[in-house]
Amino acid sequence: MEMLTVSHIYKAFGKKKVLSDLSFSVPEGSVFGFVGQNGAGKTTTMKTILGLIAADSGEICINGESVSYGQNTTNRYVGFLPDVPEFYSYMTPKEYLDFCGEITGMETKKIKSRTVELLTLVGLENENRHIKGFSRGMKQRLGIAQALLNQPKLLICDEPTSALDPIGRKEILDILVSSKEQTTVLFSTHILSDVERICTEVAFINDGKIAISGTLEKIRNMHPAAGFEIELEHSEDADKLLSVFSGGKKLTERHLTFNESDELKMIEVLGFIVEQKLSLKKVERLETTLESLFLEVVGE
Amino acid sequence: MKTFFAFLKKENMELIRSGRLALLLLLFVLFGIMNPAIAKMTPWLIKMMASSLENTGLLITEIKVDAMTSWTQYYKNIGMLLIIFVLFVSNTLTKEYQKGTLILVLTKGLSRFKVVLAKTVVNMLLWTLCYWMCFGITYGYNAYFWDNSIALHLFYAAFCYWLFGIWILSLVVFFSSVTQSNTSVLIGTGGIIIVLRLLSMFSSTKKYLPIKLMEGFSLLTADAYVKDYNIAVIITIIFSLVCIGCSIISFNRKMI
Repeated sequence: MEMLTVSHIYKAFGKKKVLSDLSFSVPEGSVFGFVGQNGAGKTTTMKTILGLIAADSGEICINGESVSYGQNTTNRYVGFLPDVPEFYSYMTPKEYLDFCGEITGMETKKIKSRTVELLTLVGLENENRHIKGFSRGMKQRLGIAQALLNQPKLLICDEPTSALDPIGRKEILDILVSSKEQTTVLFSTHILSDVERICTEVAFINDGKIAISGTLEKIRNMHPAAGFEIELEHSEDADKLLSVFSGGKKLTERHLTFNESDELKMIEVLGFIVEQKLSLKKVERLETTLESLFLEVVGE
Repeated sequence: MKTFFAFLKKENMELIRSGRLALLLLLFVLFGIMNPAIAKMTPWLIKMMASSLENTGLLITEIKVDAMTSWTQYYKNIGMLLIIFVLFVSNTLTKEYQKGTLILVLTKGLSRFKVVLAKTVVNMLLWTLCYWMCFGITYGYNAYFWDNSIALHLFYAAFCYWLFGIWILSLVVFFSSVTQSNTSVLIGTGGIIIVLRLLSMFSSTKKYLPIKLMEGFSLLTADAYVKDYNIAVIITIIFSLVCIGCSIISFNRKMI
């Protein structure tokens, strides 16, 4: 079942088109990476899903219910973590979670137990200071706690790791991974290693529409192994190889790349090197990385 | 209802912890004491200056001070107090837009009208508390030093100014829901008052306008009758309700 479907969304701010015919869907139980450059339309998409921004046309459904702008009834299924979450700085983390529970209409008993549980999960159980003095990482962790408070069916995170140091990033990713048992996760990012680490599905957004989407595996298979690179000691050896084998390209004087994915081709080339006693410095197989795919998608 | 009270509770916590409540209470208490104090000190002050005034040829006869002197002070100062109060509370919504704190609240499914209503209720209750406390203190001192009975319709006149404040606060909420910044809220609210001031120069329209309620002092001195104010009172109540209604509609459509 699809937890979230976004179909044919258009949105422009004045003359600037931000989203044009954006469509994708997030299956229940997945960790969905929403990847795009800064300014590609990720935050606008998320705010539209949350009913904070009106789409010019198109439809969004969360858990089978249509999202309407301004009124936020579908938000009862959703937990949201903005890129820079802002809290009421005069509250302590516990008070803030209590407040969140109360405005969501949760029972007092449930609020109490969830607050303790979540503060422990995010490692803020002993923080009795006001939020005013919190670091960015601490705020981000509290942000996750408030997003998970009412056990949402869909957790939406807008670039949760972008502003954090490596340790903070790891902590957030670990929390996201641990929450995927209970909820579907949609998170936007431009950090590809995060996607490779925790996502099951991924969509690349470019110029306001989805360029590629699918499971991580499927996307990798769309562009199988991308060939190999060879570095030799002498430039004349490199020239020799190029004259014998077609399909090669010079990167530098002694550095060649072959864009063919055929494994036999590499063995053939290596055989030739052995036969001719060419001095080899390095050989490397190229794999399709998300990065190369991403660069391809954004046309660079 | 429970979710509304939760937001109300948060507003109260903000008032207390930011120190705004204490500061406003202090200010209104001070002004409440100052009105009779100034009246009480007037003869003394003038006596101090008497000798120098005599040199210029002015002759000071006996100065008579009573409750009316103190009430005159009250109606002179209350306008200033209302302005200070508005400056204090006018950023109640715009501050949340700028910081982005409402995003988490609204994405939790809290209905938007509850946010607007809670903010309105808190501001109006705060105004009520501060205003009547200031009035009560002045009233108490006046009763102690002099006699309040020389001032007519004291409570109705005070009610009129209180209601004027309520209307101003509904304007603040309205402009907060249509604009983004605190400056535009203040300009909008101030602009409306200036326009009404200009309109009230035509004596035929004046009795219909909320501005009329600022002149409650005339009731005390019997320069005006209660019935002169009734139309303005009703119109102000209607205006305030319309303002709040429009705020809810506009806030529902606001991009946050």
